[in-house]
Amino acid sequence: MKKETIIAVFLGLLFGGIVAVFISLKSKDIELSTNKVIAPPKENVLSPNLTGTEIQSLELSEPANNAIFDNDIIRFKGTAAKESLIIIQSPIKDLTFKNIQEKFDLEFPLALGENSIKIVVYPKEKQFRPQEKFIKVYYIDSEL
Amino acid sequence: MIKKLKNCFIVILFYCFFTSSIALGQTPSSTASSSPTVVVDKDIQQLKDKIANKVSEIRKQNNKAISGFVLKIDGNSMKLSNSGEVNQVKFDDTLTKVFKVLGTTKKEIKTGDIEKNDYAIVSGVVADNIITANVVLIDENFLVDSGKITEINKEAYNIKVLTSDKNTYSLDIETGTKQYMVNIKTLLKETVGFSKLKEGDTVHFVVKKTGNPPADEKNNNYSALKIMIIPQEYFIK
Repeated sequence: MKKETIIAVFLGLLFGGIVAVFISLKSKDIELSTNKVIAPPKENVLSPNLTGTEIQSLELSEPANNAIFDNDIIRFKGTAAKESLIIIQSPIKDLTFKNIQEKFDLEFPLALGENSIKIVVYPKEKQFRPQEKFIKVYYIDSEL
Repeated sequence: MIKKLKNCFIVILFYCFFTSSIALGQTPSSTASSSPTVVVDKDIQQLKDKIANKVSEIRKQNNKAISGFVLKIDGNSMKLSNSGEVNQVKFDDTLTKVFKVLGTTKKEIKTGDIEKNDYAIVSGVVADNIITANVVLIDENFLVDSGKITEINKEAYNIKVLTSDKNTYSLDIETGTKQYMVNIKTLLKETVGFSKLKEGDTVHFVVKKTGNPPADEKNNNYSALKIMIIPQEYFIK
């Protein structure tokens, strides 16, 4: 084989290699730019976490568990999720209401002696679980 | 005669002078001596009130209420059991008052009338894990809970309820059971019949528990006193 032929083959291979590398790099860029992301958008991924932290949990500031009262009417004070359905149940009274504001403050009657009371909050967003609290309060008449 | 009248007049004059001077002399002295007494009385009363307030405050702080079924009772003490917890109660002959609660009224009874398995609510001062009873009320024990209806037996008028803490209750709906349903539009409770209950509905219920439960009660089977249904449609809308 002649010397010129060997040089021509070598240059041909070198040039071909350079072109091949250039084309493969370029095609990768084109592929990335034209591909569509199948994963949900960032804001959608974050939203469940955000809503999870946003919901107001049931907090009862009054009455305290095992509290003793010398009055047969007490006040229930606390906070719960807005627009949620709240049910306060005791053997003598059932109270159902929509929590318009986050804070609630309402009267509740007591029976003489022990009062077992269950408070359940059903959030407006139905994907959230109901929140529950159970307390016992005592009405002991001061005249006894 | 004139001399006699003159003497009489002088005697009357002297008498008037003396009585008036005594009266005048006594008035200022009496006010002077009473005013310090009033001030001292006021101070004593204030001190008494302060002590009484402090005593009632301390008593309130130490005053606790416990409840449970009577495990054991003797002359001057009893043991109460509530969910595995046992409390010792001491009676004070001069202080302790015992009442039986009869619905909205109460009747005074004696400590000797308390029986084993009665449900007692005791209010008093706790010291060394022993409560000295001021008041003992013998009442009924109620269970208040809620859950989802998993099964309805229309022939036996019975429902099975699964609570959030994974307890299953079997509730008998008697003729005396108060049955309510929350109106999903107004959120007010309405009286309903057994036929309106559906599997999947949420139910809030009240049952009576006894100290010496029969076999049914041991299997979480109770006669419902009151149920309140939240229809599943409320959670779908």
